[in-house]
Amino acid sequence: MAARAEPASEAAQDETRDAGPGGAAGVVLSGVGKTFRRAGRRTVALAGVDLEVRAGELLCLLGPSGCGKSTLLRIVAGALERDQGSVTVGGRPVTGPAPDRGMLFQTPMLFPWLTTRKNVLFGPRAQRSRGLHERDDPELEAEADAILETVGLAQFSDAFPHELSGGMQHRAAFARALVTRPSVLLMDEPFGALDALTRVRMHEFLLAMWERYRITIIFVTHDIEEAVLLGDRVAVMGGRPPGIREIIDVPLGRPRHALDVDTEGFLAVKRGIRSSLLS
Amino acid sequence: MAGWYAPGTGGSVIVEDIRPPGPRPDGGEDLDDRADLIAHRRARRRARTQRVATGAAGIAVLLALWQVGAMLLGDQVALPSVSQTAAQFLHYLNHPYPAEGKPLWYDLYISLRRILIGFAIGVAGGVALGSAMSASRVVRHLVDPVIEILRPLPPLAFIPLFIVWLGIGETPKEVLIIVGVVPLMAVMTVVALDEVPDDLRLCARTLGASRAYTLLHVQIRAALPYILTGMRLAMAGAWSSIVAVEMIAATSGLGYVIQQAGDYLDTALVFAGILVIAVTALVLDAGLRGLLLLADPSRRG
Repeated sequence: MAARAEPASEAAQDETRDAGPGGAAGVVLSGVGKTFRRAGRRTVALAGVDLEVRAGELLCLLGPSGCGKSTLLRIVAGALERDQGSVTVGGRPVTGPAPDRGMLFQTPMLFPWLTTRKNVLFGPRAQRSRGLHERDDPELEAEADAILETVGLAQFSDAFPHELSGGMQHRAAFARALVTRPSVLLMDEPFGALDALTRVRMHEFLLAMWERYRITIIFVTHDIEEAVLLGDRVAVMGGRPPGIREIIDVPLGRPRHALDVDTEGFLAVKRGIRSSLLS
Repeated sequence: MAGWYAPGTGGSVIVEDIRPPGPRPDGGEDLDDRADLIAHRRARRRARTQRVATGAAGIAVLLALWQVGAMLLGDQVALPSVSQTAAQFLHYLNHPYPAEGKPLWYDLYISLRRILIGFAIGVAGGVALGSAMSASRVVRHLVDPVIEILRPLPPLAFIPLFIVWLGIGETPKEVLIIVGVVPLMAVMTVVALDEVPDDLRLCARTLGASRAYTLLHVQIRAALPYILTGMRLAMAGAWSSIVAVEMIAATSGLGYVIQQAGDYLDTALVFAGILVIAVTALVLDAGLRGLLLLADPSRRG
């Protein structure tokens, strides 16, 4: 997992985000390609990806396993180097992982040795240690407590991750990502490992949070229903070489609710996407 | 994705300590509120108290069986009683043992010093070697076969070599411990660092941590519980090495005393020496275990 040298512009990027959560940025990918070389064999993971994610949009990347959707997300995160093309977030080129792009994973990736509150404080403290801001502990703690209240974990701020249920761990991870005020959230099948009921709850939670903060979200999934429920648009991925095959508008109103998955309009969109996937 | 994230199984103290930490034992249903969390923690504490009490009862039963057996047998050379062993221990704790002219506490000090010096150097070397192996594929492939050859060898096989090379002073004893500790710690460190998911590092980076901060506060921090577990295993190995070498090639130390006492059929002193080793090893292990609990909250309770 190679990342490029530390971008000099990272500090500058942070200053512009002081507007608070909701300072959403657009993401523009043009001609992005990636080839993996393993044991002398070249595998084209992505080719010629053009995509424009609008500021404040919730866009779902949908496709089967191995279609390159995770690779694409990691290129936007700056965790993987692209071989061709360009990626900009809020107009600035991506050169490595930075806190303007928060990331959520299939496992919550909480730090097991830290309490919920200290997990949330990790980002702000790590940023302070490199001089990105000079806010003191009481200020950071007040902010962490406020965000834990928002995600419904105020009572569990001194619990350790292993003491939380799966859904609570995801909410804690969400709070931890949100507290650093990213302008884009990258979500890599975050609810894929949860049981069906918890998943529905997390959908409801994510929709509510997105309505509240209106942050740009790129949400990777292989579940058509999840993509239609959450997304403003669904980018269907696949093909050889892998890329974006079609971008489908989801003409459903907002706010949406996790249980509105059997209306006629919903089913029609779902059917359309399925036929696009199978064609 | 093993390690922090893999489910564990219950079991004895040592099994629970070595296994990777798992999710909540109640299967991870949603906690309703703080009271739930506190009740959950209290239940875990209660389970631990119960476990410790049962364990203490086991030791008491063993001592009682020993005492009764010794009294029935009535042969002090074959099996001295608990009280005879205690008396011999208390006597030689302060009085010099004729064969070397030193009391027991001095031999304990000598053995402990050899162990701690060898252990400290061995752990530092093993962790450094393991980190290098984890960071560089070339180093890993270079060192791996050497460790694989060394690891199954009993360090005792090297005693004659070390005596020829390093004489009969303290150095060969410390080196013997180092030779036992380094491969184990190197392997445990490689495993520990490999187990840290790449995504945990990426996560820290997207939260705004620098590379150095991530290395220190995430990668090394996440590896710490495994390294401490490795240290506990290595400590046990260090004790067997040191006692053995003291029996063969030393004129001081607990192994030497035990050997001498055996030669003079002073079985009570043999037992006393063994018990001193057992208690000291237990105390050292408890210290390491305390560090482990500090490092890994999921093992507490």
